[in-house]
Amino acid sequence: MPIYLYLDRRTFIHRLHPAVKILTIVGIFWSVYWVDNPISLLPIAVLLLAGAQLTRAWPNFYSLRWLFILVIFATTLTWIVFYRQGKPLVHLGPLFVSRASLEYGFGRGIKLAELLATSVLFLSTTKVEEFAFGLAEMGVPYRVGFAITLAFRLVPLFIDSALTVVQAQRLRGYDFDSGSLMTRVRRYVPVTVPVFMGALRKANNMAMALEARGFGYSARPTSYVHYEMRTVDVMMLLGVIVLAVAYFLIYYSGYGAIAPR
Amino acid sequence: MSELRSMWGNTRMVVLSAISAALYAAVLVPFKVVPLIPGVTELRPANAIPVVCSFLFGPAAAWGAAIGNMIGDFFGGVGPADIFGFFANIVYGYVPYKVWQVLARGQEPVIRSPATAVKYTVACLLASTFCADIVGWGENLLALRPFLMLGNAIVFNNMLAAMLLSPFLLAAIYPRVKAGHLLYEDVMPEQQGAAAWTAPLGLILLVVGVFGAWTAGNLISTGYWTPHALPASMTQPPYDRAIGIVVTPLVAVAVLGLGLM
Repeated sequence: MPIYLYLDRRTFIHRLHPAVKILTIVGIFWSVYWVDNPISLLPIAVLLLAGAQLTRAWPNFYSLRWLFILVIFATTLTWIVFYRQGKPLVHLGPLFVSRASLEYGFGRGIKLAELLATSVLFLSTTKVEEFAFGLAEMGVPYRVGFAITLAFRLVPLFIDSALTVVQAQRLRGYDFDSGSLMTRVRRYVPVTVPVFMGALRKANNMAMALEARGFGYSARPTSYVHYEMRTVDVMMLLGVIVLAVAYFLIYYSGYGAIAPR
Repeated sequence: MSELRSMWGNTRMVVLSAISAALYAAVLVPFKVVPLIPGVTELRPANAIPVVCSFLFGPAAAWGAAIGNMIGDFFGGVGPADIFGFFANIVYGYVPYKVWQVLARGQEPVIRSPATAVKYTVACLLASTFCADIVGWGENLLALRPFLMLGNAIVFNNMLAAMLLSPFLLAAIYPRVKAGHLLYEDVMPEQQGAAAWTAPLGLILLVVGVFGAWTAGNLISTGYWTPHALPASMTQPPYDRAIGIVVTPLVAVAVLGLGLM
């Protein structure tokens, strides 16, 4: 199971300034937020598909295809139950289907799928270090950025460590596979303990190593990685601002809404 | 709540928050494929980790829970609602420690008597419900999903892990961490003053805010309760405005309570 979605493709989107990438996802989230109508969401869907093609991120979209389908399906179904507006086409108990509830539910499903697609594109084109650098550029303290980066780096180590313990226990005849789901989950408790303790044993050494290297000496430490703001970054930022304003205007003019019928 | 900020000045606490986050994410990610409500939430035995870490590392666990959840979200895609998820997980990792400080200061969080079991359950229930309140409120405020859906799924998920897994983990890990002098009170002894005189009042406000928000959110999002003081335009599905006006002050009361503890 892949933990990171990053794909090393070296496209111009990959080379964008990390802070610009973070602001781009904020801009897309903002734009998607204002409209409910599935047709109003279509231009963003086209932009995201173009982004997937440009960054050659299709393998990630393919591996998450079921998540996209589930998000659209479950959200549409949820709002069919909860959005009781308009003239009913079907009304059976909690099920209330009207043209408005269908449009609203489907719009929400598409909206969530677009948010998911935006984040997949972001993660396909951004390394963890870039994300931490982008956060630092936006004013997040470097210690928080460091904790995020360190946590990302430790996840595969802990998963590997857990798998090693599971294999060792299996060799000793420990049965992880029989019983109910809850019973099986509880059998993993003894696996978690050595992983936990192994991790905590590292904590002291890690803290000493960090302090020996001057961690915490300065509130504004220097960084090995550095990204310059280039013309393409400014163009991208302007494009996102135009998109965000356009979508707010769509909302303001009432075109993005769904009127109960 | 100042310790949530001051802990970043201690390198060991920074490392412990990264380790808590990585442990949480390491269990969270493999279970992403076991949906509880398809497209909405998955079975999360990993939710046992923030509770365990909370009793061990206090504020470091709070940040660890938030960062770990963010790593989990990165695996399956992020959205604007994940900002609420971030803060909800801070609360989920912070409340058990704070409530324990008021109810059972100086006692070990290992269940050895019915009285300890009751205190432990209260701490976990408050943390789980507060976490659910923030996510359910946030998602309904953005009109992405009704409060009822996440507000209840999260309480169930969190309590299941906190009651069935965390006590066993704590029983195995707490004595070892204590012996290794890695408990929060050992790492930052300067933060361990007497309990604030406002702590009992804080706990009362926390209880009122948490359960008030949960009840109001459920009743409004299902349409069982219409706040008649609000204009009719605000009490229509998806109930985002009604949730915003009624539930927001209750969430604020809970946050105030936590601050006073």
